[in-house]
Amino acid sequence: MFVLIAGGGRTGARLASLLMNGNYKVRMIENRRALLTHLHQELPTEVIYEGNPIDPNTLEQAGIREAHALAAVASDDSTNLALCFLAKTMFGVPRTIARVNNPTNTWLFNEKFHVDVALNQADVLAHLIEEEMSVGDMMTLFKIRRGRYSVVEEKVAPGAKGIGLQLKNMGFEEHCVIAAIIRDGKMTLPRGDSTFQEGDEIVAVTSPEGAQKLAELLAHPVYPVRENKTVK
Amino acid sequence: MNFIIVGCGRVGAELAYRMFKSGHRIVVVDSNKEAFNRLHPDFRGRTLEGEGLAESVLERAGIKEAHGLAAVTNSDTLNAVVAHTARAFYNVPVVVARNYDPSLRMVIEAFGLQTVSSTYWGAQRVEELLTNPSEKMVYSAGNGEVEVYEVVISEAWNGRTLSELLGSLEQCYPVAITRAGRSSLPEATMQLQTGDVLNVSSTFEGIGALSSRLASNSKDKKAEA
Repeated sequence: MFVLIAGGGRTGARLASLLMNGNYKVRMIENRRALLTHLHQELPTEVIYEGNPIDPNTLEQAGIREAHALAAVASDDSTNLALCFLAKTMFGVPRTIARVNNPTNTWLFNEKFHVDVALNQADVLAHLIEEEMSVGDMMTLFKIRRGRYSVVEEKVAPGAKGIGLQLKNMGFEEHCVIAAIIRDGKMTLPRGDSTFQEGDEIVAVTSPEGAQKLAELLAHPVYPVRENKTVK
Repeated sequence: MNFIIVGCGRVGAELAYRMFKSGHRIVVVDSNKEAFNRLHPDFRGRTLEGEGLAESVLERAGIKEAHGLAAVTNSDTLNAVVAHTARAFYNVPVVVARNYDPSLRMVIEAFGLQTVSSTYWGAQRVEELLTNPSEKMVYSAGNGEVEVYEVVISEAWNGRTLSELLGSLEQCYPVAITRAGRSSLPEATMQLQTGDVLNVSSTFEGIGALSSRLASNSKDKKAEA
């Protein structure tokens, strides 16, 4: 898979290394002198294409016609919007992903500009921080349908309230389903009479309410679990 | 009619004042309020400080009732994106985007937008005036790819036909000929007279070829005589 990255700021550079580690073919377009010096120290020369990312000739020479995806991560929103539009309408790129710099521009990042996925850095970060504050050591593996439900993983802390309780008595009701218990590296599918032990890793599909309840049962008892999840 | 102008640089300020004088209701948007100092002191339209891409700014500018929008900032991508937004999100009937950097004209054209490339057009006009001061451009189509010129028939071509003059020129078509203040549609067989004013629709290359033909044939005539 070949991914073309337009914009070589911090996000672009990080994305390029990440994708290269995953054996993707990557090329990045950037024309700002100051950034290029830095990029050449971080990335192999053949990955970097010097030019204005919004110039269609540059895009073509960088191989956009062969790209499976375009990541528009420039620091200017109109550039990212125009890039997605050009990628799809002029060059037939199958998938476009754009970075939103200014949250007030989010409304434009949709099919009218041929944006498949829009990522608003400030928003993503804010949600992650909120989550970290509210549910302790719980790790979100992925979000389902953009947010409300998540698949989470959490380790059962020593002395946690849920140790020894049978699953059917934990009172999750409709908010949370325990999907797997990983004990000593082996996974078991939980039943109603399954119990948690210290050190178990629990995988669950849950709503925010369920996550709160899960945290109360699995976290270390002195960890402050907040009643009110939203941080103002 | 209601028009929105995004970008209050030299082009935006001039456009705003012209259209205001023609009796239109104008709103000028710019993210920098200092830019409004460029407006003519008699301008009585609205000014709105804000980002041209913000939904709230466009709506306060009255985009839902606008008859047209001009995106004339000095960023080609911003102009393309603002103009496309006006058309695709609000169905503004007429939108025009200014092309600032000629190498990025393709970006605006890729959106299928009407564009005015003042940099490209200006440079071409200056070249025309410097290299062919005798020909006069009277109309410019698109961004100057095709223009209508006015040339005066010299003595050298007196009595010869129009098809002799234009016959083998591929990028130059006659549109009107004016003799003694009366114009007519030109015919290929018509005999030219000294002082006839000929209008041709032509590319830059075409008018260059016509000019040199008028010049070289007059020399030939002199050589013959």
